[in-house]
Amino acid sequence: MSQVPSDQAGAAGPVSTFMPQNIDAHPMEFTGSGGEYFRVWIVNVLLSIITLGIYTPWARRRTAQYFYSHTLVAGSPLEFTAQQRKMVMGFVLLMLITLAYNIAANTGQDAAVGVLLLTGAVLSPLIWGSAMRFRLGATRWRGLRLQFTANWKEVYIASWPLFALALVWFGVFFGMQLLSPELAEVLQEVEEEAARPKMPSFTPAMGALLLLGMVLTVLCFIRLEYNYKSLLVLKAQVGAEKGRWKPVYMDFVKVWLATVAVFILCVVGFSALIGILAGSSIALVASQSSRLGLWMFVIIIVSIIAGIFMLILASAPARAYREARMFQLMWNNIGVSQVARFKCHLKSGSYVGLRIKNMLLTLLTLGLYRPFARVSEYRMKCESVTLHVKGGVEQVAGAMVRQQQNGLGDALADAAGLDLIG
Amino acid sequence: MPAPVNADLIQGRWFDGQSSRARPVMVGLRATPQGPSLVLHPLSQPGAEPVVFAWKDVGWPEAWNEHKPQPRVVVDLRDHGSLEIDAVSDWRAALAAAGERPGLAQRMQTRWPVLLGVTAVAVIGLALFYRYGTPWAATQLTRFVPLGWETSVAENVLRQMDDGTLKPSKLSKERQAQLKARFDVLVQQTPTTFHRYPNYRPPLSLEFRSGMGANAFALPGGKIVMTDGIVKAAADKGLPDDALVGVLAHEIGHVVYRHTTRMVVEQGVLNMGLGLALGDVSAVVSTGASVLTGLAYSRSHEREADCYAIALMRHTALPTAPMGKLLLAIAHDEEEEEENKKKEEEEAKAGQNQAAAPTAEPGASSPERARQRKKAEEMASHPVWSLLSSHPDTVARASELEKGHAPHCAKN
Repeated sequence: MSQVPSDQAGAAGPVSTFMPQNIDAHPMEFTGSGGEYFRVWIVNVLLSIITLGIYTPWARRRTAQYFYSHTLVAGSPLEFTAQQRKMVMGFVLLMLITLAYNIAANTGQDAAVGVLLLTGAVLSPLIWGSAMRFRLGATRWRGLRLQFTANWKEVYIASWPLFALALVWFGVFFGMQLLSPELAEVLQEVEEEAARPKMPSFTPAMGALLLLGMVLTVLCFIRLEYNYKSLLVLKAQVGAEKGRWKPVYMDFVKVWLATVAVFILCVVGFSALIGILAGSSIALVASQSSRLGLWMFVIIIVSIIAGIFMLILASAPARAYREARMFQLMWNNIGVSQVARFKCHLKSGSYVGLRIKNMLLTLLTLGLYRPFARVSEYRMKCESVTLHVKGGVEQVAGAMVRQQQNGLGDALADAAGLDLIG
Repeated sequence: MPAPVNADLIQGRWFDGQSSRARPVMVGLRATPQGPSLVLHPLSQPGAEPVVFAWKDVGWPEAWNEHKPQPRVVVDLRDHGSLEIDAVSDWRAALAAAGERPGLAQRMQTRWPVLLGVTAVAVIGLALFYRYGTPWAATQLTRFVPLGWETSVAENVLRQMDDGTLKPSKLSKERQAQLKARFDVLVQQTPTTFHRYPNYRPPLSLEFRSGMGANAFALPGGKIVMTDGIVKAAADKGLPDDALVGVLAHEIGHVVYRHTTRMVVEQGVLNMGLGLALGDVSAVVSTGASVLTGLAYSRSHEREADCYAIALMRHTALPTAPMGKLLLAIAHDEEEEEENKKKEEEEAKAGQNQAAAPTAEPGASSPERARQRKKAEEMASHPVWSLLSSHPDTVARASELEKGHAPHCAKN
């Protein structure tokens, strides 16, 4: 056993001070390949088609098992051991809820739709918690199950930004009415289904209030992300060893600010590019044709459409950048009690490049490139992480944990876009 | 060692689920009627009894690649921990020797002919399901939808349209009464044998509105709305009221076949089924597939309503030819209007050197424009474009109505 005092190990600064004699470095490995996963994926798609989509929970399990079993942590593959029966039940429940919601929405039963949406919003922390419980509980490494030990109270306390968000928008709404009595009247009229009201004037004070509301919204979202991530790591457990968490809220805010900067840079760059292209084509056409009017019209239309498309493209690098920075922040600053630390050498630039390349190829192939994209992104992230273990990987002991998780949380989280892999 | 082992023993590391410590074991597989069972021989305690796991007590890892096995597999022993094996090829061979029966997914994963066969089945099955299965299911499910629900939906929709594009009718009271009388006669003469839903008796009623051009539409629950535009179009072309009665018969067809309700069910099945099946490929593919199929259903509903109109008109000894002429005339007018608009725009753009170009007379079209129109019609009737339309080809529909029978109608 190591003699290093705990506070020294906790102050994981540069790697050199963190490497006394008996710490082993284990780079994570991913042994899968794009072609192989394409086969896994196409089998899933075909079976989903044949079974009219009912195969989905089996497909999810196969996908998770492919990625887990090809991920080697300190030489041992991860195991995805979720019970298929639980996943199927969760899926069926989710389908019933979706069906109920669709019927209510299609038949104009606004009250039922409102109740469903509100219930979903109030229960969303619960759903997140049970999804994380399911995922960690279904993960095994060297025979040991991971656990998510947060109770519902802790999950709801961590979700306070969600409820603060509702308060912020209530505040903005009433503040608007206070600042502009006309607006209140208009809203009243709309409620009473009176004749078409004219829009009231928009004052700078109202703009400032709206801006404040938006800034607070973003801050709330960052806080929520921070709270959830820290809760996930701190309440995660492998055997008897608990997770360690170092990042602070400001680290997350910094990542977001940098992301906004990247986004603005991309938008400016793209706009300049489009401007030059449109300008030069106008000049070209003007020099060749006397019938300027019609062509001018066509060029303007084309550049507007291209502009909207480019704006969507422009947000892609920013999104990839945020993901990379967040990944680095997480995997450079978390660990498993005094036993293990992670280090991450993911390069933001190359990850952004990979994501853009993948996005373009996926668009060009109508989605057929997606499995290759997924594998290459997963590989880059996975292989950037190194596990540093103090005292060997054989020491982790824990009580036997039985598996009894409900699959509904996972199915709901999947519907909400929280990916199992990645 | 007493156990007769089917293949040579394979080295493995067993994790008991209590700690991350590995224990060396030898693993054997034994053929049983249910499938191979797993025999674990612990090496750390000499003389210990081997542990036997039945087929169903083991989570068997799937084989992903026949030619290039992964470097290490993990066997899920459920509550007894997990088993790591390095000699993956030997493990696979032992499994096969012990009579492993791989599932369909694994066979598709590792054998090309199986994958191709399932692909063919999927393509054919998908086509058949959406061609016959969904419409049939929609017909059956619609039986359970109460009339009250349809009526409330129709009221909602009509109220929204009245607030939006529709205006009160400007037709005289007498004219409205006249058409309503014809409508009531038609409804009374409708034989019950025409109904697909024997107990479905919606109260059929006719209303007039202006706006939306020359049009007529049926709301679920029996309300049929006719616009001033279509009444005027029939009058302009000198067509008898039989043309309008034919249109009403078509709309009654939509009502008694409950097309709106069926469309809600069909669209629901489409969005959910295709979303699940193709959603993982890409949103473009799944949305595109569901839109195209939805349009195909809409076209088949229109054909059904046409057949209903033809049958009902024949039953009441009324001609369907005027209805066909009306259909053509409306399509013609709309096209002309569009062309006029286009022409005006072009002229406006061409510059102000020519003073106020005279608006083209709708009747007198130049040969150039006739050629253009022909081209447009050809394009519209091309199979690719017809896939993108909610109604079947107008010319074909009109000629069927004029003849009074269509090849796709069931014979009564």
